[in-house]
Amino acid sequence: MNGVETFRYDNRIVRAFAWATVFWGFVGMSVGLLAACQLFWPELNLNLPFTTFGRIRPLHTNAVIFAFVGNGMFTGIYYSVQRLLKTRMYSDALSWFNFWGWNLIIVAAAVTLPLGLTTSKEYAELEWPIDIAITVVWIAFTVNLLGTILRRRERHMYVAIWFYIATAVTVALLHVVNSLELPAGWFKSYSIFAGVQDALVQWWYGHNAVAFFLTTPYLGLMYYFLPKAAERPVFSYRLSIIHFWALIFIYIWAGPHHLLYTALPDWVQSLGMVFSVMLVAPSWGGMLNGLLTLRGAWDKVRQDPVLKFLVVAVTAYGMATLEGPTLAIKSVNALSHYTDWTIAHVHTGALGWNGFLTFGMLYWLFPRLYRTRLWSTRLATYHFWIGLLGMMFYVVPMYVSGVTAGLMWKQFNADGFLQYGNFLETTMRLLPMYRLRAIGGTLYLVGVVLMIINLYKTARSGQFEPETEAQAPALRPAPAPAVARRWTHRWLEGVPVTFTVLATVAVLIGGLVEIVPMLLISSNVPHIASVQPYTPLELLGRDIYIREGCVGCHSQMVRPFRSETERYGEYSKSGEFVFDHPFLWGSKRTGPDLHRVGGKYPDAWHYNHMNDPRSTSPGSIMPRYPWLLTQKLDTSSLPARIRTLRRLGVPYPPGAEDTAAEEAMAQARQIVENLKAGSVEAEPDREIIALIAYLQRLGRDIRQPAGVPATAARLPAPAPAQP
Amino acid sequence: MLEHFVRNIGGIGIYGMVSLLLFFAVFVGVLIRVCRLRRSDLEAAARLPLDQTADKPAQTEDES
Repeated sequence: MNGVETFRYDNRIVRAFAWATVFWGFVGMSVGLLAACQLFWPELNLNLPFTTFGRIRPLHTNAVIFAFVGNGMFTGIYYSVQRLLKTRMYSDALSWFNFWGWNLIIVAAAVTLPLGLTTSKEYAELEWPIDIAITVVWIAFTVNLLGTILRRRERHMYVAIWFYIATAVTVALLHVVNSLELPAGWFKSYSIFAGVQDALVQWWYGHNAVAFFLTTPYLGLMYYFLPKAAERPVFSYRLSIIHFWALIFIYIWAGPHHLLYTALPDWVQSLGMVFSVMLVAPSWGGMLNGLLTLRGAWDKVRQDPVLKFLVVAVTAYGMATLEGPTLAIKSVNALSHYTDWTIAHVHTGALGWNGFLTFGMLYWLFPRLYRTRLWSTRLATYHFWIGLLGMMFYVVPMYVSGVTAGLMWKQFNADGFLQYGNFLETTMRLLPMYRLRAIGGTLYLVGVVLMIINLYKTARSGQFEPETEAQAPALRPAPAPAVARRWTHRWLEGVPVTFTVLATVAVLIGGLVEIVPMLLISSNVPHIASVQPYTPLELLGRDIYIREGCVGCHSQMVRPFRSETERYGEYSKSGEFVFDHPFLWGSKRTGPDLHRVGGKYPDAWHYNHMNDPRSTSPGSIMPRYPWLLTQKLDTSSLPARIRTLRRLGVPYPPGAEDTAAEEAMAQARQIVENLKAGSVEAEPDREIIALIAYLQRLGRDIRQPAGVPATAARLPAPAPAQP
Repeated sequence: MLEHFVRNIGGIGIYGMVSLLLFFAVFVGVLIRVCRLRRSDLEAAARLPLDQTADKPAQTEDES
């Protein structure tokens, strides 16, 4: 047996991530509260581009997911990995590169999103230079993690480590595939996928971002910090093994449940639904494993705020993972999709699971990092109760709001007409719930402020320990010669490598079975001859629509329900989106669907509506967009944009980029004429004109055969675009 | 040619069945493997986070 080695755990990196978690948590939640208030108090949009809901909402989601939970994840990982593997992190330089890189990316996001630089793909809004930076930083983290594992002094990799490995590998895969885009300038790119394909890739990513960014790393933290706090081993290690493999294997398949009743092939929808329902089993296995770890220690929960937070976190995980599969059932989804029910669901996860687990972990960690006691256990307990109350006040109104909206949208009267034909009627009915939600958010945020005070005071009262000394025997007796051979040996029999490969295979199988048919679909999307690329002006308008984050509140996907075809018009066909880089189907209807809005209102209506929505729709909660009326339209970027789209397969004729600006102005002058007819005086070179052009184009390709008679003849009515 | 192949992959529904069988096989495999693990090994593994020999300073504070 070789001798015992002495080494030091790096606590500095843990402290840095912990404070970053606290800071970004406060920022992200405050921005969320602002967004929540804007929904019943539109003046809070401040009539400024940077503070408007459409730009604030992605800032909130990115800040909470990647800044708060991201830093929280790194805090826990950097603390637990070293101790579980009995070694310092593989490379301090990589650790700090990870910290500064990640947090600079967040700063870049906090700057670019309010500026309207966005790809519009949910939870992947950041533009291409930042996407590349994310990839580099993530690789640094993965190398650091795997390097640490290879240098470990503990033969068995504890279950938490498996979850970390799955996280590292899968997030890299998801991020790279979903961010495949072609730049059309420094801060503008187009997704290489279009329409249905883009939607599938996006929700394969979106769903698994929830799985592998918000869930698996935090399950790792649960398996480490819950036994630590309860001072007893996990209930069943066998169950944790089954939990892990079943979870990562099933999760990756479930993405299509975000696209039920859309233009996606039916079998993919069913596959997504079945695997989503199956997810209940491993998720609940994990939840029960967590809760049962406390067997015989429930009396501690009464006194220890850390355990209180952890117990509620695990319970929220159980609730959210029962609700998710329920929402993935097609008949339930028909009601819940596009409503606040989804918002309630994700906040059970975010506030309960991620939030409370992070708080519990921080309250446990700070006294240990600073070698002292928690400044105030009572204050932490207050935080717990206020946070729990806040969560209830957030989630319950959103359930009520979601079900109310879903039912109202579908309600027909005795004569067979929509009971609430005006979308605004349903919105106004939800406003009290939005106000209650803001109260819930405020309570939750107050709790966080109490935590910040408590953690700060704890840090002040203690003495930070930069490094913790530890001792452990080396993993294997090291024969002096043949270092390389020893490593080869390790590589061959070393579990971590095999393990990583197996985990990757498990994830890839699900991904491939989903992606391969996606590629097939690209050939199978019915070609609709009348669907043409956007005109240059419409393209600019579409890019403004993306910039302003309109997709955050307006879907562009009419589902094949009578309640929707009555309200909006013909249901959406997959062939209509073949030139949509990226797709803009949306996932929430705070406002009505816009896929068939083209031609519904006169140009002047749109002009006035964008300037002040309440002038045309009294009571509307939509923000004002006065700057669109004054900002000059930038046509100089058109050639690059058209060239990029052509490379992606959009059939712009040769030379289109040279005449684009001219064409755009010609169309703009036509719109100005239309506006004149509506008593609106406007300049043709303003952004609003492009946006009107785009909105008036929406959904008209299959509706207006006039002007393209040759192709129209081939379009029987109703257009049977579905295979 | 490729298009012909793609269109004739019509029985694409089999993907669903294949994925289900694949999942089932993996699940059963994991189950068997897990059942064959030794209890003593599992208990030792479960105690890893609580193994304080390498985490003495934390232990000294655990009295709270």
